[in-house]
Amino acid sequence: MNLLESVRMSWRAITGHRLRSVLTVLGVVIGVGSVITFVTLGASLQAAVIGDVASSSPEIGVTVGPTGQQGPPGTSSVPVFTEHDIDQLRAIEHVDTVVPRGSVGVSSLVYENQTIAWDSVTATTPAQFDSETFKNGESFEDGTEEAVLNPAAATMFDENISVGDSLTIRLGENRSRTVTVVGVLNASGSGGFGGPPQPAIYVPTDSFYTTTVERPANGEEQRAYPQLTIRAASYDRVADVEPVAENYLVNESDASQLKPTSYEISLLTNDALVDQIQELLGTFTSFITGIAVISLLVGAIGIANMMLVSVTERTREIGIMKAVGATRRDIVQLFLIESVVLGVIGSVLGTLVGLAGGYAVARFLEFPVAFAPEWFAVAVLVGIGVGVIAGIYPAWDAARTDPIDALRHE
Amino acid sequence: MRSVCRKRCRFSRPVKPSIINRRDVKGRAVSETESDAETDADAELAMPAVSLQAVRKSYEMGGETIHALDGVDLDIERGSYTAVMGPSGSGKSTLMNVVGCLDTPTEGVVEIDGIDVTGLSDAERTRIRGEEIGFVFQTFNLMPQQTARENVELPMTFQGVGREKRRERATDLLEQVGLGNRLDHRPNELSGGQRQRVAIARALANDPAIILADEPTGNLDSETEREILELFEALNAAGNTLLVVTHERSVAEHAERVVHLFDGELERIEEITNRRVAGGEQ
Repeated sequence: MNLLESVRMSWRAITGHRLRSVLTVLGVVIGVGSVITFVTLGASLQAAVIGDVASSSPEIGVTVGPTGQQGPPGTSSVPVFTEHDIDQLRAIEHVDTVVPRGSVGVSSLVYENQTIAWDSVTATTPAQFDSETFKNGESFEDGTEEAVLNPAAATMFDENISVGDSLTIRLGENRSRTVTVVGVLNASGSGGFGGPPQPAIYVPTDSFYTTTVERPANGEEQRAYPQLTIRAASYDRVADVEPVAENYLVNESDASQLKPTSYEISLLTNDALVDQIQELLGTFTSFITGIAVISLLVGAIGIANMMLVSVTERTREIGIMKAVGATRRDIVQLFLIESVVLGVIGSVLGTLVGLAGGYAVARFLEFPVAFAPEWFAVAVLVGIGVGVIAGIYPAWDAARTDPIDALRHE
Repeated sequence: MRSVCRKRCRFSRPVKPSIINRRDVKGRAVSETESDAETDADAELAMPAVSLQAVRKSYEMGGETIHALDGVDLDIERGSYTAVMGPSGSGKSTLMNVVGCLDTPTEGVVEIDGIDVTGLSDAERTRIRGEEIGFVFQTFNLMPQQTARENVELPMTFQGVGREKRRERATDLLEQVGLGNRLDHRPNELSGGQRQRVAIARALANDPAIILADEPTGNLDSETEREILELFEALNAAGNTLLVVTHERSVAEHAERVVHLFDGELERIEEITNRRVAGGEQ
């Protein structure tokens, strides 16, 4: 019997038991749908996070921290990088600039008669903002009484802070400084792994940062910072700069002598960060997808179950077909096609449902949506696979039915 | 009436216009020895449709061997009309299964249309069954999801006959059994007699060597029974070979001869001299 005839007869059998077929297909739809939803979501999440990270220019973050704890920038608080180190790093070929960052402890912030408790502001140089864009205003100048806020910081008070406003920073011991807000950044920067953005207030180092340390080489007092950002001339140069900078920092720098023995200096490029994030998100996505695959498995078992019931129920029909000349191969073909058709319908619908679901959730979480059209091909293949695996035993069971018994079957 | 020979029929089968021109040969009671002698002389004409030689079918049941058929010799000639009678357990069903290639004998030889089917594989027996055997069952055994025409097409579908030819022949056959106006009805929309007519049309679809009918009127009222038996007579008159299993003497008496089975053995063959006739004109 040719394939087209088999498909026609199988389709007749499927539509003959409409409710049962729909429910069976639903199992596969849910399975494939949830797999696709989570894969779409994972891909969208990666695209979103990595897009953010990779677009942030050719930077190398330099931190110091306990050995083995390679956290993202921001975890380091020991001020070991001296002005001398910064000058040496700036001298490395292809280094555009080196931006130091340190925190200045504060007790509270006052704006428009409203006082809020706060712990620290970030002291840095104007070069910090080279890779960022401003919603309003511009960067501060070195040595001024000016500040730059990120959007989260600009909305900390009842009244939103805008460019030109004055903000009073209480430094404790009754000392306070009043700064003029000169710029509000566009993005708040990632608060780390998709968390809410943290408010950040940036002030110039010259005017505010007072942490100093004695240089081991000559005892000279110099400002020292817990964090640096080395910015290479271009993204391609990061690979050239990183080993030279690492060699200097680990072997010759003041920091290498000033750091606690159990601490180590680490350099974190975006590459490394991207890799880390990717790995983390990959693990997360595979975990959830794994759960979704289980539901696909349940869908496949659903098909197998329905086919087995169907074989039992149609024993007599199988007997009739055999009596009028159907070979084992014909019977296998009929039942296998039936389960493959169910599998393919289920997985194609499941793909549509999954893409819709992934799209909806990604939109809800405000990720860019990443679609892959080849998933339709994959879905059809998965459908065929599920159909064949689920149908092979029932089909074989049907084919070996003895026509004499089958015709007597009621 | 006599026009096309057996072999040519087999190849022109699906487009053959009418069952009325079914066969040119009406084999009459010929003894085994004569049959052998004639096979050489005129193979085409004298070869029986079905020939059983010392057929034995045994089952193991509780350590005991039961012979459902115990050495049956029987020739069913082309164009003959044979009834099989016997009490239950006499081997009627087993005989049907063996002749219908649904079952293989433990011993002996079964030839269908001159082909020894005893040693054939399952797939080969299936092919012979599809080509040479037409089944008519007591419970009709139609495919419930398919229309009358699709049911008649089914044997041709499995033989790989093209869609157009199938439709044409199925329509033709249904018209001949008087169901030209019921082509697209499902079995549950048909009466018992109509269902049995569909089943008969289906049995004729591949122009088989023999039509096996197992209690074909067992589920029908007497008026419908008469109609079906009339149809059988017409088929036989057109040259089709019929083997009808029945437990009703009145049904059996429509045949030319009655084979009596008892305890798996062929008790006797009774020639019906005064056949009952269902059709008005016969």
